[in-house]
Amino acid sequence: MLTVNQLTKTFSNGKGIFDVSFEVNKGEVFGFLGPNGAGKSTTIRHIMGFMKPDKGYVKVNGLDTWKEQGKVQEYIGYLPGEISFIEGMTGKTFLNFMAAMQGIQDLSKRNRLIDRLQFDVDTPIRKMSKGMKQKVGIVAAFMHDPEVIILDEPTSGLDPLMQKVFIEIVLEEKARGRTFLMSSHSFPEIERTCDRAAIIKDGAIIAIKNIHELQSMQRKLFEVSFEHQTEAQSFLESGLTIESRDGNRVRVSVQGDYNQFVEETAKYKVRNIDIFTQNLEDLFMNYYDRKEKIQ
Amino acid sequence: MNVTLYKQMMKVNMKSFINYAFGSAFYILLMFWLYPSIANNAKAIDELVQSMPEGVSQAFSLNGFGSAEAFISGEYYGLILVLILSIVCVQLSTQLMARLVDHGSMAYLLSTPSTRGKVAFTQASVMATGLFLIMAVTTIAGLAGSAWFLRDHYPFDTTKFIQMNVTALLLFIAVGGISFLVSSLSNDEKKALRVSGLITFAFFSLDLMGKFSDKIVWMRKLSLFSLYQPSEIVNGTADFTLSILLLSVIGVVSFGLAIVLFRKRDLPL
Repeated sequence: MLTVNQLTKTFSNGKGIFDVSFEVNKGEVFGFLGPNGAGKSTTIRHIMGFMKPDKGYVKVNGLDTWKEQGKVQEYIGYLPGEISFIEGMTGKTFLNFMAAMQGIQDLSKRNRLIDRLQFDVDTPIRKMSKGMKQKVGIVAAFMHDPEVIILDEPTSGLDPLMQKVFIEIVLEEKARGRTFLMSSHSFPEIERTCDRAAIIKDGAIIAIKNIHELQSMQRKLFEVSFEHQTEAQSFLESGLTIESRDGNRVRVSVQGDYNQFVEETAKYKVRNIDIFTQNLEDLFMNYYDRKEKIQ
Repeated sequence: MNVTLYKQMMKVNMKSFINYAFGSAFYILLMFWLYPSIANNAKAIDELVQSMPEGVSQAFSLNGFGSAEAFISGEYYGLILVLILSIVCVQLSTQLMARLVDHGSMAYLLSTPSTRGKVAFTQASVMATGLFLIMAVTTIAGLAGSAWFLRDHYPFDTTKFIQMNVTALLLFIAVGGISFLVSSLSNDEKKALRVSGLITFAFFSLDLMGKFSDKIVWMRKLSLFSLYQPSEIVNGTADFTLSILLLSVIGVVSFGLAIVLFRKRDLPL
C-alpha cells in the first residue's frame, strides 16, 4: 500500500535521509520511531510529496507521490506534526473548507468524529488550545475516509482520556482495512496499535521489528526500598543488573527475566517497589548502542 | 484554479481589499472636491511650481494645475497611489504564499487532491483580483467625482484618466508578480517580506531619483516604475501601448515563473 524505496535526500548541511526503504501493507499500522532530527519528518515530507527525492521514490497505492501530485492525495489522510490552520477560521469553517477541498459530500463520518472527540467546533482556531487543535487536525485527516493515513505525533497535546479514544479510532479504522504510518514518542500508543515499527537514526533505518520483538526488548527499571541498608548492600551481590544505589534504595534493570528478580528480592524485607518504564527512544538507543559495542 | 480555495482566500482578504479600495476612493474624491477651488487660483499656483527647481517638481509629478486630470495625476497617481499599491503588493504576496509555507498551513492545502500548480495559480488569481478591485473602485470613484464636483464647469479628459488607471493596474500586476515570485520561493515569511519590500522600494527610489536630474536619468531606466508615467499620459507624451505591453509581459512572466518554480521546489512542511 505504501512503499518507500531507497529514499535519499541530502541537505546542504550534510544531513538528510539515506537509503530509507520500508513497506507498509494494507491494513497494517506501522510505527515510525526515532529521536528528534533523525529524519522522521523528512521522510514524511517525501511521503506527502512535499519534497523531491535525490534518489529513490515513495509510492502510495502504486502512485509516485512526487510525480502524481493531486492524484495520490485522494488516498491519503495527513495529520502534520505542527498544526497550523489558515487564519480567521473556526473549527467548523476550517473543516467545511477542507471537506470542500477534498470534494466530499458525505459529512456523517466527520460528525461522528467530532462527537467522539468532544470539542466545540464553533471556537475560533486562534483561541484553541493545542489539544483542541490536534482534535481538529485528527478529524481533518480521517473525515474523507482515506486508504492511507499518515500521522505525525498524533497524540501530542491530548489528555489521557482522549489518547484512549484516539487509539480506539485507529484500531477501528485498522479493522476496516485502512493503512497507517504513525510517528510517535509514546510507547503505549505504539504498543497498542502498531504491528511493526521502523527505527530511524541519523537519517538511516537501523531496524524494522514487529511489536512483540519490541516488547521483549523493553527494559524496565525497578526501584526497591529495603528495610535496612545492610540488606540493600547484600542485594547488590545478587547478580542482577544494578543501575544505582542510594542508602536503602536500589535500582535494578530487568529485561525479560522477571523470575530471577522476584526470587532475589523476596529474600529480604521490602518496603516499597517503584517501576519505571523506559521511553521508546531510550530503549532503542540503548539497545543499539550496546549492539555497536559488542560488535 | 481551485474554486473552493479562491472563495476562501477572497473571504479572508476581502476586508483589506475593501479598506484599501475605499481609502483610495475617498482620497480621489477629496482631490476632485478640492480641484474647483484650486483651479480658480491655478495661475498663481502654476507660477509657484515654475519657480521651484525643475527636478523637484518633476520628481513629485507636479504637473501644473491647468486641467483636472493633470491635478489628479500629480496629487494622487504620482505618489500616494503608488505607495499604497506597493504596500498592498508586498504584503498580499507574502500572505498568499510564503506565510502559508512558513506557518505550515500549506501542508493542508497540498494534502488535498489539488496540485501545487493549481494552488499557486489560485493564489495568484486572488492577488490579481485584489489589485483589480482596488483599481476598479478608484477609477469608478474618479469618474463619479468628476461628474459630481466638476460637472461641465471644468474640462476633464476621461480617456486619459482611464489610460492612467489601466497603466497603474498593469504596473502593480507587474510589481505584484515579482513580489509573488519572491514569496513563492521563500520558506520564511519575514524574509519574503524583506526581499520583495526591498525590490519594490528600490524600483520606487530609482524612479524618484532619476526624475530629480537629467544627469542620472539612466537610473529611471532600471526601474519598472518608469513604465508608468501618469504626468506624461496626461500631457499626451507617453507611449501608452508600449508601456502596457511591457508591463503585461513582465506581470505574466513573473506570475508564470512563480507557479512553475513553486511546483518544483522542496517545501519544509
